[in-house]
Amino acid sequence: MRQYFKNIFVAIWTILIGLKLTFKHLFVRAVTIQYPDVKLKLPDRARNRLYVNIDDCIGCRQCEMACPVDCITIETVKALPNEDLGVTSTGHKKRLWVTKFDIDISKCCYCGLCVYPCPTECIYMTDVYEFSEYNRHNLIYHFSNFTPEEAELKKKEVEQFELEQKMKKAKPAEQVTVNNPENIEKKS
Amino acid sequence: MATFEITTRSVKGDLKTDTMILNMGPQHPSTHGVLRLELVVDGEVIVDVIPHIGYLHRCFEKHAEQMTNYQQVIPYVDRMDYVAAMGNELAYVLAVEKLLGIEVPERVQYIRVIMAELQRIASHLLAIGTYGLDLGAFTPFLWCFREREKILDLFEITCGARLLYNYIWVGGVSHDLPSEFGKKLKDFLKTFPKALKEINDLLTFNKIFIDRTANVGVLPADVAINYGCSGPMLRGSGVKFDLRKNEPYLVYDRFEFDIPVGEGKMGTVGDCWDRYYVRVREMEESLKIIEQAWEQLPPGDVHSAIPKKVRPPQGEVYFRTENPRGEIGFYIISDGHSASPFRVKARAPSFVNLSVLPEISRGYMIADLVAILGSVDIVLGEVDR
Repeated sequence: MRQYFKNIFVAIWTILIGLKLTFKHLFVRAVTIQYPDVKLKLPDRARNRLYVNIDDCIGCRQCEMACPVDCITIETVKALPNEDLGVTSTGHKKRLWVTKFDIDISKCCYCGLCVYPCPTECIYMTDVYEFSEYNRHNLIYHFSNFTPEEAELKKKEVEQFELEQKMKKAKPAEQVTVNNPENIEKKS
Repeated sequence: MATFEITTRSVKGDLKTDTMILNMGPQHPSTHGVLRLELVVDGEVIVDVIPHIGYLHRCFEKHAEQMTNYQQVIPYVDRMDYVAAMGNELAYVLAVEKLLGIEVPERVQYIRVIMAELQRIASHLLAIGTYGLDLGAFTPFLWCFREREKILDLFEITCGARLLYNYIWVGGVSHDLPSEFGKKLKDFLKTFPKALKEINDLLTFNKIFIDRTANVGVLPADVAINYGCSGPMLRGSGVKFDLRKNEPYLVYDRFEFDIPVGEGKMGTVGDCWDRYYVRVREMEESLKIIEQAWEQLPPGDVHSAIPKKVRPPQGEVYFRTENPRGEIGFYIISDGHSASPFRVKARAPSFVNLSVLPEISRGYMIADLVAILGSVDIVLGEVDR
């Protein structure tokens, strides 16, 4: 019987201790913020939406290789000898047209592994974290300056050029093997 | 609270007195994720519990084999025990480093210790916060999250992510500590004991909380060892086993700290309250470790030992560390010529700890099962992997 009342007393007493504590917290400054109206500043190293500075991209595909979830798709086309693509801001010579640089941000796991191997530091994570979309296809970001049609044109152009090169190479080679007796002797 | 003997009561008429099967979960607030418990109940008394797992299975081990290098596995490792991602990374990275046979700089080791211990505090805060929530105490949950937030902020300024860090790399860490880290850490170390005392006053020594948890779900030491339990589960039963002391890795042998064990202060040794209190005291010990590690932190370069290419020689390795939930181990086989692991097997503490649940919940009421499951502290991401 005595224990029974003692238990009740202890229960009420410990509840009162708790109530005292929570009452104290009425006068403590709130730690929460009203999110859409007030936003915290993210630290410099914050890892959120990926961004690619395509002007600096040399199309080396290091980021594509590093991605554990394969959310980066890159297609490149070789530049023709008469085209000068210039250099990146870090001084690397650009040799490839980057005809496609797509990042499916809905697949991205924000691990940041693509950022470190980039030789020109053109792919990096920004502090943008609000990028919801109504259509999921809008979450595939196209960073390349080429539209798909232009990319197709470029590809054809290069194919054409390579074909010409081949023809050019093939022709003198034939002449050499047929007309020059020294060559025939050497071969035999 | 006493256990009830299971008897078939004689009821007049043709009332059915058989046992009944009741499904708890997979969408149940107190199962901490997608876990389905098939309860065989006799009235309100539990006759048997059959956990059904696999709702969150993501083929971690197979994924790890499909990666193109060892580094890419780390984001997947993060997603196992997602409330203690640092600890998972640490275990995996240490296993790979053992396979490679590389020595990391001292500064890296100290940073790793600080991070792992901060993570332990954060994880235990979540554990005790949600445990209170399970038993109807809402305020401690918010206070725990407020404190946890400070740790996540520390992680965020260091590596940029709040939950899935990808911070600990093979041979080093991704970033050195930022300049403002020390100040923020000291602030946290100063304010946290006070906050912990408040939580103790409000929840730990509350009579209602004690009545709900003491003498409930008693796990005797021999059963715990037989089932392979580890972490606070094992220590709650009074077994003093902690890999940080028994098998020191990193620089843990340089710090002074105790291993709290369950003493049966409020009831029997190995009850829910003991497991809960071991977690609370472990946080205090972690604080001690962090303080010492911060004082001893040597200068140096954190990137110097990161290998250009991780291509371990042929062989296999098993490495285990003490995660907040228990002993996490990685077994890695390398075939010697490819840059990705041939096989990765993870020993997840939550999975092993969950296996003892039927054993310790027989004979208690359904309402007690919530308390027991909460004290096991499982993370379904790790149970299912």
